[in-house]
Amino acid sequence: MSKPLLTMEGIVAGYGGGDVLRGVTFDVPEGKITCVVGPNGAGKSTVMKAISGLLKPRLGTITLRGEKLVGKSPRQILDLGIVQVPQNHSLFKDMTVHENIDLGGYTIKDRSKVSKRAAAVYDLFPQVRGWAQMKAGALSGGQQRLVEFARALMLDPKLILLDEPSMGLSPMVLKSVFDAARQMNANGATVLLVEQNARAGLKLSHHGVVMENGTVRLAGTGREVLEHPEIGELYLGGAVKKA
Amino acid sequence: MARELTQAIVNGILIGGVYALMAVGLTLIFGVLDIINIAQGVLVILGAYLSYSLFNKAHIDPYIGLLITIPAMFIIGVAIHWAFISRLRGSERTSMTLLVTYAVGLIIEGILYKVYGANNVQISPSYIDSSAHVLGFYIGWVYIWGFVIAVALVGAVYVLLYRTRFGRSVRAIMQNGDAARLVGINVNKVAAITFGVGVAVTAAGGMVFGETNAFNANSGYDLISRLLSIIILGGMGSVGGALGAAVFMLTLESVVTIWQPTWAIAVYYAALVIILLWRPAGLFGQKAVRAQ
Repeated sequence: MSKPLLTMEGIVAGYGGGDVLRGVTFDVPEGKITCVVGPNGAGKSTVMKAISGLLKPRLGTITLRGEKLVGKSPRQILDLGIVQVPQNHSLFKDMTVHENIDLGGYTIKDRSKVSKRAAAVYDLFPQVRGWAQMKAGALSGGQQRLVEFARALMLDPKLILLDEPSMGLSPMVLKSVFDAARQMNANGATVLLVEQNARAGLKLSHHGVVMENGTVRLAGTGREVLEHPEIGELYLGGAVKKA
Repeated sequence: MARELTQAIVNGILIGGVYALMAVGLTLIFGVLDIINIAQGVLVILGAYLSYSLFNKAHIDPYIGLLITIPAMFIIGVAIHWAFISRLRGSERTSMTLLVTYAVGLIIEGILYKVYGANNVQISPSYIDSSAHVLGFYIGWVYIWGFVIAVALVGAVYVLLYRTRFGRSVRAIMQNGDAARLVGINVNKVAAITFGVGVAVTAAGGMVFGETNAFNANSGYDLISRLLSIIILGGMGSVGGALGAAVFMLTLESVVTIWQPTWAIAVYYAALVIILLWRPAGLFGQKAVRAQ
């Protein structure tokens, strides 16, 4: 396992009415895709919010290459190179796809750099270039996901957080969205993925983390987690065992 | 008859332009902050009193005075946001702000009573009664200039929204606040400036209102109920909708006044109810003006 880009240690966090995360510890290896799986309510999305600064943990540390993230604002964390693609669709629907992409570079003051980044992003996702002048709201769910990915790449992030990218997508579309995630990773970004669709998510990933009840139950390579008998029974449906 | 009707329509459009300006402020604040600024009506009256004082005490023409009153109202808006609005958080925020902005309105109204007393006043520069003679119609210059100023300021708001980086962040927040935060937009700062802009336009609205109506500190109530009905009719949060609805409603009122002045207000609100039954999202609203 390569050295961790992000380390989460003993994170305890919640929304006021009790703790959702009860001591979460795991590493996100650099340059890899890591997938967090687990049943509903295990705290997967809360992990994402704790990293991106939308939720302040009560206890524990999160570090990006040794730099502490807890206590930093979402904007500061964004500036450190961590971007989040949330679970719900997050495009500006009445704006064009290009305006959306452009807003991904909102924090970059230098306009020529924004154009350069947009060109690089379009090169990585040529389909998105084709939709540039369309209203974002007119795209299908899967297409919107790709635009969200493209927008996230505008800041050339070190770490991309994908919160349930498969949500509401058909299996066919799911494949293209996961391909896009793989492409972003091949292009140099570390990806941390949260997936309800555990089997597909783990197949895509180098590294898997299984959460249960606000703690980490098991961590290992994607394959190890997929083939772990107990986990297969519990979360992935028995059919996985034969894989 | 046709003549009277035309005159009424012209008047309605001219006054509608001024109401549109005041309503644009209200709808912008709603669109970005998700709150209804009940104090907007009283703020218009505050703007009117500022122009009144500048004219009566310092002999500054009300139109020139806008160079002072617009920035002053902007600062007042930002201050209200800082002192009251930005402190409200959590799930009850939207309903709490109704009470808070109502309270802010009462405070301003109280201060205005203290300073100016309860008598009606009007801003009356020398040209107040002069009118233009166009195609056989007499149209007061204050209405024409009020309309021109309103159109210019609504145009300025439009340019601000659609041609600037700030405007892009405003529209982004209106369409998806969480996503705006995720791309690094400072939502609180944009909200403060938007509140300031939304209040700043009341300076001009108030000036024209104060030239065309006698007013006192509690004239704000009639204004806020009209402004609210305009932004509801225009589709909450829609700038273009507020424009169209303001012109439509004021023209309707102006036309009804020809037959039965006492009915004008009743017809105004009856029209509001009927239109909303027919189109719940407002005259110009799509299904959801603010995608959520």
